[in-house]
Amino acid sequence: MLLAFRSAFASERVTATAIEANEFPRLSQELGVRAVPRIVVDGEPRWDGAVPEAEFLRRILAAT
Amino acid sequence: MREWFADLDRPVELFVALGPEETPRAGAGDADFGAEMVRLCEGLAELGEHVTCRVEEEPAGFPRFPAVSIRPDGRDTGVRYDGLPWGYELSSLVGAIVEAGREEPTLRPESLAALATLDRDLALDVFVTPT
Repeated sequence: MLLAFRSAFASERVTATAIEANEFPRLSQELGVRAVPRIVVDGEPRWDGAVPEAEFLRRILAAT
Repeated sequence: MREWFADLDRPVELFVALGPEETPRAGAGDADFGAEMVRLCEGLAELGEHVTCRVEEEPAGFPRFPAVSIRPDGRDTGVRYDGLPWGYELSSLVGAIVEAGREEPTLRPESLAALATLDRDLALDVFVTPT
């Protein structure tokens, strides 16, 4: 989660929201959340699980 | 935590948004999430003079409640936590406050360079649970 927050603080282009899956079950179901952390980029589920910083940046930028 | 907050370079506002809440998944507990969010953020604000807490009912731009926007110098930079960050997830909120309070980002230089290549907006949503 912190990598997403850090990216958003570092770039005016990036926003980052943590969403507590149990409190928002409808949205979680819509996005097929079964494992956490689930990373969603521009509304599209991309991957589940924590990854190192370089890989995180590579994946979010590849999603654009 | 007091020491981390004492080292902040700039003020950080915790902007708490309250409003109608979705019925949580069974097992999420029967807590009053909004009231707990206010209690949590006010408690964090008491730990450092650079951290403040402001609460509003149904402010614009918040699709889910409760939520907290973490704002360096009171500016909305698009960092938000929807739902109550309890358990292990409290560390994510504290980490966000510490990062917001820094003048210089903590990402590696190569990561900052990669972000600088972005030529359009990017919205990251990260689903978490309080394990």
